Amino acid sequence: MKNKVTALLILLSTAFYAQEEKKDYGHVSGGFESNSQWYLNDKGMHTTHPEDPFRSNNYLFLNYNYKKWTAGIQGESYEPNALLNYNPEYKKTNVSTYFLQYKSEKLEVTAGYFYEQFGSGLALRSWEDRALGINNALRGGRIVYSPVSYLSFTGLYGQQKSGFKVSDGKIFGFNSEIGISDMFKIESSDVTLGLSYVGRDEKTAVADPNFSQLTNVYSGRLNFTHNAFYFSTEFDYKSEDAIVEVQKIENDFIKPGSAFLFNIGYSKKGFGIDGTFRRLENMNFFSERTAKGNLYNDKIINFIPSLTKQHHNSLANIYVYQAQPGVSLPDETIMKSGEIGGQVDFFYNFKKESALGGKTGTKVSFNMSNWYGLDGKYSFADPRDYQTDFLAFGQKYFSDYNIEIDKKINDKWHTIFTYINQYYNKKFVEETSGLVKTNIVSAETTYRFMEDKSVRLLAEHLWADSDKKNWAASTLEFNANKQWSFYCSDLYNYGNDDVSKRKHYYNVGTAFRRNATRVSLNYGRQRGGLLCVGGVCRFVPESTGLSLSLNTSF
Amino acid sequence: MKNLYLLTLLIGFNLAAQELPNLSLLNIEGKSVSLKNDFTETDKIYVFSFWATWCGPCINELEEMNELQEEWKKNLNLEIIAVSIDDSRTQKRVKPLVKGKEWDYNVLLDTNQDFKRAMAIVNPPYTIVVKNGKILYVQNGYVPGSEKELYEKLKTL
Repeated sequence: MKNKVTALLILLSTAFYAQEEKKDYGHVSGGFESNSQWYLNDKGMHTTHPEDPFRSNNYLFLNYNYKKWTAGIQGESYEPNALLNYNPEYKKTNVSTYFLQYKSEKLEVTAGYFYEQFGSGLALRSWEDRALGINNALRGGRIVYSPVSYLSFTGLYGQQKSGFKVSDGKIFGFNSEIGISDMFKIESSDVTLGLSYVGRDEKTAVADPNFSQLTNVYSGRLNFTHNAFYFSTEFDYKSEDAIVEVQKIENDFIKPGSAFLFNIGYSKKGFGIDGTFRRLENMNFFSERTAKGNLYNDKIINFIPSLTKQHHNSLANIYVYQAQPGVSLPDETIMKSGEIGGQVDFFYNFKKESALGGKTGTKVSFNMSNWYGLDGKYSFADPRDYQTDFLAFGQKYFSDYNIEIDKKINDKWHTIFTYINQYYNKKFVEETSGLVKTNIVSAETTYRFMEDKSVRLLAEHLWADSDKKNWAASTLEFNANKQWSFYCSDLYNYGNDDVSKRKHYYNVGTAFRRNATRVSLNYGRQRGGLLCVGGVCRFVPESTGLSLSLNTSF
Repeated sequence: MKNLYLLTLLIGFNLAAQELPNLSLLNIEGKSVSLKNDFTETDKIYVFSFWATWCGPCINELEEMNELQEEWKKNLNLEIIAVSIDDSRTQKRVKPLVKGKEWDYNVLLDTNQDFKRAMAIVNPPYTIVVKNGKILYVQNGYVPGSEKELYEKLKTL
């Protein structure tokens, strides 16, 4: 395989050097990303490094474009092993994805691996997220045809990428996007309609199955915008299929699934309000039935994100809600078949020279989300079953109320103040035990000096009534110039009832940027979650050690 | 592995003048925008700034440029395009956030991150400067003050 990669690289680089001449030989572009970590033993953390303490994930992506044709290839290398917490299917060096695409004004044809999303992704989404180890590209073919600007039809077939292999299950998809307002030349409003179908065909080893080998998801969507007002809605229906629990297909527990999404908002200059309601019932959908519940987001067909604010403070990412789309009855006190709830966002700008705006204006945002289980009649055994009502809010799973005040005091000082209140039903979300209520405050200030230097100080505190109890955290960042940043941070779980778990999660590091290249070096303990420092955010798993990241594009 | 590194560096440091991919994205008004055909005014500078609602530094950068862009436009023929890479988890927050913060940008929605992937972007903030159909400058990351250096760079293009 390595030889093939090298041969291809040489071919592509020849093509690249050829472009030095005036003639159009097309062009090559791409990118490289490398994330390495040297794991260390840490007595204070009670952790020992894995057998291979040095691990590295590397991605090389090359694209060649010539007129209407584009070809691409991605090679990945996990040598000597992938970083901790990655899907064990990612191992050694291999070709990960490749494609050939023809694209004209009306027609697009792709063979090989491709990424696709229908609507909001509740029926189908294939995408890549390296930090999370997700790449569920489809390997097969796709045709997109747009006879006129307001009509677009997509047909696809493929098997889903899983590590360096593909799923056994086969995926069929059809999607249409219809611009109603453009079709009827309505200028004042924008109306679009979407209809799609996704089929998953997977043979089953179950004898005399009570379910069909082919599972279908039908979905319809409508978007409407009129000046500052807009709404959109989506409904998905998944045909009857066996429920899977703990990798076991239950041949006597056959249920359909559904999803309903409604979003409405109004926004104009200086003001925006947006609300979303979503109800999910039995909407887990994998290219192989028994993949349900796997830890690596492997073989997922649809995308069901938790609709809550994605916070960028570290302490606000300790109790993170995970959407609960599926059926799970682990014991008689935890019986779940989906979730129902919503989220509201509000943004307002107090103008300059107004009472609350001051000299520079003040920006305020408020967000709230509430999520519940589906209420209904549940039967744990003989038979295993449930019946739910459409608008029945059951057990509360999660809520988050937060406000953020962003104030630029003058050209030198900028501050952000945040308050967050969270309710996290650990018992139901994680299927363990416990209920955690938290209050989080954070204050952040940035001071600029001498043309290109700045210092950022972030202080946070979390009060929790149970689980790991209180935390304090702080980050200090110094940006020496456009190229160099240095930082240190500490998260301290000082309130833990278990004295031995009152740990410091400290980190020190530096980042270097130049044009398209960024290199960063970090030493410390990582609790896991979203880490934003030196101008970039990424998810990190828990570990202790020295890490080096590099990325560039060309 | 070593060869891979060398080759990447070789290509990376030699290559200039790339082009935008042949893609169409929706803007926050729901209109389809073609990256190939809608940013083609001769000698106009197009600054594509990749961001997300959950990325603090990105928001800081766009806040700063929003304050400065009027001044910049007096001296240069330029347009700033804010490309949101929010997926459907947070994409509905984009429009109220942009309006609430009074950002005066053309905002594109890269919901399944096709544009981001085509440009091999790992993390936002990330800025691409295009003139006459060619990518002339790339800035990976943002720290306070980067916007001033960006402006100095734009003046030389």
